[in-house]
Amino acid sequence: MSDRMAYEALDFYDIDSLLSDEERMIRDMVREWVDDKIIPNIEEACRDGVFPDEWRKDIGEMGILGAPLQGYGCPGLSYVAYGVICQELERGDSGVRSFASVQGSLAMYPIWDFGSEEQKKHYLPRMASGEWIGCFGLTEPDYGSNPGDMITKAEDKGSHFLLNGAKMWITNGTIADLAVVWAKLDGEIRGFIVERGDPGFSAPEMTGKHSLKASVTSELVFQDCEIPKDRILPDVKGLRGPFSCLNNARYGISWGAIGAAQSCFSSAKEYALSRIQFGHPIASFQLVQNKLSWMLREITKGQLLAYHLGKKKDDGSWIPEHISLAKMNNVDIALEIARMARDIHGANGILDEYPVMRHMANLESVKTYEGTHDIHNLILGRHITGIQAFTREA
Amino acid sequence: MEVTIIADVADGSLHPVTAQLVGAASSIGGVPTILCPGGVGASEASSITGVSKVVSVEGACFGAYDVGAWAEALEPLANGELILSSASPSGRELVASIGAMKGIPVMQDVTEVSEGISITRPIYSGKAIEQATVSPPCAISIRANSFDDPGSEGDAEISTVSQSGDIRISVKEALAKASERLDVSEANIVISGGRGMGDPANFEHLYEISEIVGAAVGASRAAVDTWEEISHSMQVGQTGKTVVPSLYIAVGISGAIQHLAGMRTSKYIVAINKDPDAPIFGVADYGIVATWEEALPVLKSELSNLVSN
Amino acid sequence: MTIAVLVKHVPDTTSKISVSNGRVDEASVSKWTISPYDEYALEAALQLKDSGVGSLVAITCGPTRSAKCLTEAAAVGADELIHIIVEEPLDSTQVQALLSAAVSRSEADWVLCGKQAADTNSGSTGPGVARIIGAACVGIVSEVCTEGDDLVATRSTPSGFERVSVQPPCVITFDKGSTELRRPNVRGIMMAKKKEVIVLTPDDLGVSIGSPSVSIDSHSPPPEKPPGQKFEGANSVPTVVGKLRDEANVI
Repeated sequence: MSDRMAYEALDFYDIDSLLSDEERMIRDMVREWVDDKIIPNIEEACRDGVFPDEWRKDIGEMGILGAPLQGYGCPGLSYVAYGVICQELERGDSGVRSFASVQGSLAMYPIWDFGSEEQKKHYLPRMASGEWIGCFGLTEPDYGSNPGDMITKAEDKGSHFLLNGAKMWITNGTIADLAVVWAKLDGEIRGFIVERGDPGFSAPEMTGKHSLKASVTSELVFQDCEIPKDRILPDVKGLRGPFSCLNNARYGISWGAIGAAQSCFSSAKEYALSRIQFGHPIASFQLVQNKLSWMLREITKGQLLAYHLGKKKDDGSWIPEHISLAKMNNVDIALEIARMARDIHGANGILDEYPVMRHMANLESVKTYEGTHDIHNLILGRHITGIQAFTREA
Repeated sequence: MEVTIIADVADGSLHPVTAQLVGAASSIGGVPTILCPGGVGASEASSITGVSKVVSVEGACFGAYDVGAWAEALEPLANGELILSSASPSGRELVASIGAMKGIPVMQDVTEVSEGISITRPIYSGKAIEQATVSPPCAISIRANSFDDPGSEGDAEISTVSQSGDIRISVKEALAKASERLDVSEANIVISGGRGMGDPANFEHLYEISEIVGAAVGASRAAVDTWEEISHSMQVGQTGKTVVPSLYIAVGISGAIQHLAGMRTSKYIVAINKDPDAPIFGVADYGIVATWEEALPVLKSELSNLVSN
Repeated sequence: MTIAVLVKHVPDTTSKISVSNGRVDEASVSKWTISPYDEYALEAALQLKDSGVGSLVAITCGPTRSAKCLTEAAAVGADELIHIIVEEPLDSTQVQALLSAAVSRSEADWVLCGKQAADTNSGSTGPGVARIIGAACVGIVSEVCTEGDDLVATRSTPSGFERVSVQPPCVITFDKGSTELRRPNVRGIMMAKKKEVIVLTPDDLGVSIGSPSVSIDSHSPPPEKPPGQKFEGANSVPTVVGKLRDEANVI
């Protein structure tokens, strides 16, 4: 029994009625956890720049990590259920959703899809329970939107692989027990599992962020890092490996961004109704109503995008471009809604008493990671025209 | 109409609500008989104006409170078309048990009764009001302070009856009410101080009042930020706790929008502030323009009088 | 042994309650849940189950929608689910007759429920059921534990708390306790979905509920609060205290 007033998520088109009972129960479970554990503590975690270990334990106990994966101790939920989980976590904070996205979609997924039977049995149950944290190393200091030119490389030394290179912007890196690292072996991108403590591996934390402050962001450094031969993911070669992970994570973001937007809308609405200026609540003024109705309009459209995409993920009729559209659109509108909500809050909007500035700063990262806004535009541009515009070389 | 009242003796003496039950009975033309469990308060009950008879119900079963045993002892004596008790925890349990034994309808926490029998009662914690008609015989518990005390000019005859009931609960130990301080999000009454209290030591006045009425002491963010003696767990507002007590008393709190966000849905709000233009008065049901130094001593003595009566 | 917990499906206490056409408009309720005091009873029942006292049957009585509160109970560990299905509103006598019959059918030794439901706020069910099934009743309990075959319950009294011991069969009604309620997890939710709900009609239970002896005439929104009143000076404090008692009825 929470003593707080219930958080009522904006749901203008009653998306709720489209969820199964099971999906709704999972949504409520995560929503209540966010109310109890995240909302009261998130500002402190951001100030301290930590992801409290208690959150890891709770998320593990709820059993939501690797939500759509089947078997090996994974939950085996629908993609819609995975979506509502992301939505509720990101209503709390994008950093919390990032933790779950990285663990489930970027670290567990490649092991589940491309790993050997032994790897699956060894890693997945402990990752699903939250006992082991995973991270994902693709981006490098000099290769962000263009991962294909990565320079991290692996060499087959007969008895082991030798990794050299560095990865950057790695969520969960410093707290991770294992990293799924993409590196070139004989010029071809392959996935490797690197464990904490492997010789030549370190994961220093990156500090000084103005965004995702309650999320751990790290570098992964490999200096003649030796790993056993059975740590290569046997079943994938090339960019298809990391990209299939990103598809799932981006899908989760398309829901998560709606959660952040709902939080901003809810705060702005409440503030506008209680803030009196010129003798009346500012919610009674047309300019403010215009902003609120724009927020409602865009959130509702974003919800429909995310939900329909979820159904397509569940029935297998999706293409990666569908995900690009939803990720790009929903983060874009969420960021604009956060800015607008900050505006409605006036000067109060910059305070940590309200969630809006935090969401706004977080969403700036979310706009860039997992395929920047512009890259998703180019993915759609290629889909429409059949002409790739990523590079000048055809 | 023949009415039986079960006296409220839960704390070992006749609770004043018993007289109000007589008032309720009289208001619909009832001539009540009062049953005093364990004989407690019989002579006092007999002096309530409008009472026809008092039955001092005695028996070994009235030692410790055991609703089953008490109901068995009282039920044969609870005659008439209407059985009344107070809507205290034990009052509710007794009418529920006796009602079930007799197979008659039970209505709890009633605030108005008229002939018919029509009743009014709050439901959904007061978010709605229910009006219902129930045909006698029936059992009803009445909320305290819903009816007037008819006075004490009666002189009803007292008879003593011995009854028995099957005791099935044994008390192992009594524990005093812990004197630990209530949490603001738990309490039904919250009294909060702001920076207007001047000094954290002055919160002692709020604690004294809180003890009288069983309230929790809260604080505004300004107070929490200014004085380290005032802990964050007391903070009510946007980044503190959101509270919805029946009564919220804000003392020396101007009413910044962040504070209002945490308490404006309280059922009743009292504001004490020396600045007549303080925004807190905009949400207060009862505003008192005064310094806390003047107002709190009066509030304290008024509340102690109220509670001791 | 068998532990029965009686749960009721009610609007979440934070939901807005609106009235239309003289009745509380259930369709407008945004969120339904297990009645909060019943949740404490359920938590206590789960603790008893965890300590090896017996299996746990969750029973509810109400319209079709109420089945959801059984699924919620199953998600945290209820073993058996019984739904006494009655679509029309019932009075307290009818509810008690049905619940008592279901409790007897499940041969429960311990029956746990909330001290009152969040919708009717009455508190008749626990003591009433105890009477009908011939069980002892301990009310307003915040904690229970076992001591041999007995249960020891901590109940609130006008002056504090008491630890009392009882033997089965017994009905225990719960107040808010200090224990944190357990949260379901995905595994529990998935298992709950598969768990069969035993649906019983009054006929199945051999109970003839007849017609209600209480007729609801109307529901109405609470009276508007009077507009805020402002008083000058500390000498107005007694007036305000008087109003708190008589007008607001909060002291």
